[in-house]
Amino acid sequence: MMQNRPLTPLLALVLAAALAVTLFPVFWVVMTSLKPPTDWNAAPAIWVPSEPTLANFRTLFDPSALEAYGLSGVSQPATPAILGSLLAAVLATLLSIAIGLASAIGLSRYAKLSKWTPLVILSGRMFPPAAIAVPFVIMFSAVNLIDSYAGLIAIYVAVTLPFSTWMLKSFVDDLPREIEQAAMLDGRSRLMAHLLVTIPLIKGGVFATTMFIFILNWSEFMFALVLSYTSVTTIPVQLAKYVTATAGTLYGVQAALAVLAMLPLILAGYAIQGHLARGMTFGAVKR
Amino acid sequence: MTDFTHDPAALADPPPRPAGRRQRTSAMRWLVLPGQIISLVVLVLPLLVALYMSFTDWSPTRGSLWDARFAGLFNYEELLVYDTRFVEAVIRTLFLAVTCLSLEFALGLGLAVLFLREFKGKSVLFSAFLTPMMILPVVVGYTFWMLFQSNGPVNQILGLFLGPEAMPEWFRSAPLAMIAVIVTEVWHWTPLFFLILLSGLNAVPENPVRAAMILGASPRQIFFRVVLPMLKPVIIVAFVIRAMEIAKLFDEVFMLTRGGPGSSTETVSLYIYKLAFNDFQLAYGAAAAFLVLVGTLAIINLMLLPVRDQLLKGQG
Repeated sequence: MMQNRPLTPLLALVLAAALAVTLFPVFWVVMTSLKPPTDWNAAPAIWVPSEPTLANFRTLFDPSALEAYGLSGVSQPATPAILGSLLAAVLATLLSIAIGLASAIGLSRYAKLSKWTPLVILSGRMFPPAAIAVPFVIMFSAVNLIDSYAGLIAIYVAVTLPFSTWMLKSFVDDLPREIEQAAMLDGRSRLMAHLLVTIPLIKGGVFATTMFIFILNWSEFMFALVLSYTSVTTIPVQLAKYVTATAGTLYGVQAALAVLAMLPLILAGYAIQGHLARGMTFGAVKR
Repeated sequence: MTDFTHDPAALADPPPRPAGRRQRTSAMRWLVLPGQIISLVVLVLPLLVALYMSFTDWSPTRGSLWDARFAGLFNYEELLVYDTRFVEAVIRTLFLAVTCLSLEFALGLGLAVLFLREFKGKSVLFSAFLTPMMILPVVVGYTFWMLFQSNGPVNQILGLFLGPEAMPEWFRSAPLAMIAVIVTEVWHWTPLFFLILLSGLNAVPENPVRAAMILGASPRQIFFRVVLPMLKPVIIVAFVIRAMEIAKLFDEVFMLTRGGPGSSTETVSLYIYKLAFNDFQLAYGAAAAFLVLVGTLAIINLMLLPVRDQLLKGQG
């Protein structure tokens, strides 16, 4: 179609403006995380820190690090939240991928889908978290899973399962079934053919799906908010706590935690950007 | 998805083992079982508990759920007929969905069309434009909360161009707070539309476009009459995904405004959250959540109807 035509200067300007708008918030939060406390709430706002410092990041691990600036800092370190986020997101991702892989192969190779299938898949994503959060709290209290990582991980697995299943299925669908049939012809069982042939052949897809599910789990906020009290915390919950507890005045420290929270996601996202569309659309858009 | 009965490859090249339908079905059952179990226990079961709860007058201060009095449709009637805050939250969420999705679609399409042109550094810029959608909603909400402070950069820039009277307190006025929420959402999710529409545009086959060109169609006509109709499935998928997320919109608004000032930016998710976890009206909150779920399901099903068959075939 209109491909290969060069950008006119006017369009280049539009593109540059769009780029500035896209990157400015990221620039702002990164700059704020490097600002010394005197720059935090300055009016007019300071764009680039006068004396860049890592004190905000140190405060996350050692709440007394801001004393050099005459500030008491935050009441609690973010270390438990960072470890908690890592534990919950990594374990939930691995489980979701393992279970999703089995479902993906089953659905791709052995199932006939009905006309309701797309809606059923999507409905897993449509449950308002608030609706299941309430019964979760009741059920989890009954079995002592409240305020536990096991409970949080179980929810994350269930909530991301539609994504991992359908994203992985789209990769299995791309693979001609003759390849596994050849392996079965060599005398391998169905299970071994899938384990030794199907899965290694889609390992790029498995990696992309793993990163994608990690992004979802790491980002989750509401379930962590309602299911955590003292022993379970994640980074998003900690960020909300910092903002509430200090009426939002600890800009630098909050921004430092925000930067730590988004850094792994941006890296993971760039690594799999060719597959992001597939993940977000449950495998419906492939390129 | 390959349908066994109509798969030419399967007919031409029968599987090496005489695997009957029953054997296939049992392999499927075993593979799908773990996923089904966890979905049943962690999603369906709580949902059934919530459904039961929504027909009672239970609250945690009054003993066990199983002893609660059955209240029939009382909660539902209360919500739909008397609870203006709920109805307003529903209307507000619908308004947000229409506004945000239109803006995201228009901006994402514009950007995708720009990316059909030839220019240097395209792949780096492509990554740069995708950045917002990778950032977690809580951080996006927090970042825009900073940006919209009265002494923040947004006001600084506005003041520079429009003078000092254009530096409002964004979160103290209902319409301005709503604008802040919309700007945040649009910034966060325009990249998704951009990404999906660009992959759709790149997949448009050459021949119909060339044919239209030979027949003398203008580029504008080609775009609106030939290319855009071919993107319909992709566009619908993008709208469906985003509509579902808006129905659940919580994190960004929680960080930005907490639904304030008053309840002027409260989404249904935020209202349900407050009912359940601030006011402990759990039964009432569950009823509200069910109304939202049923409404979302109905809307999404309508949106999916035109593309259902294509989705099943696994086309992109």
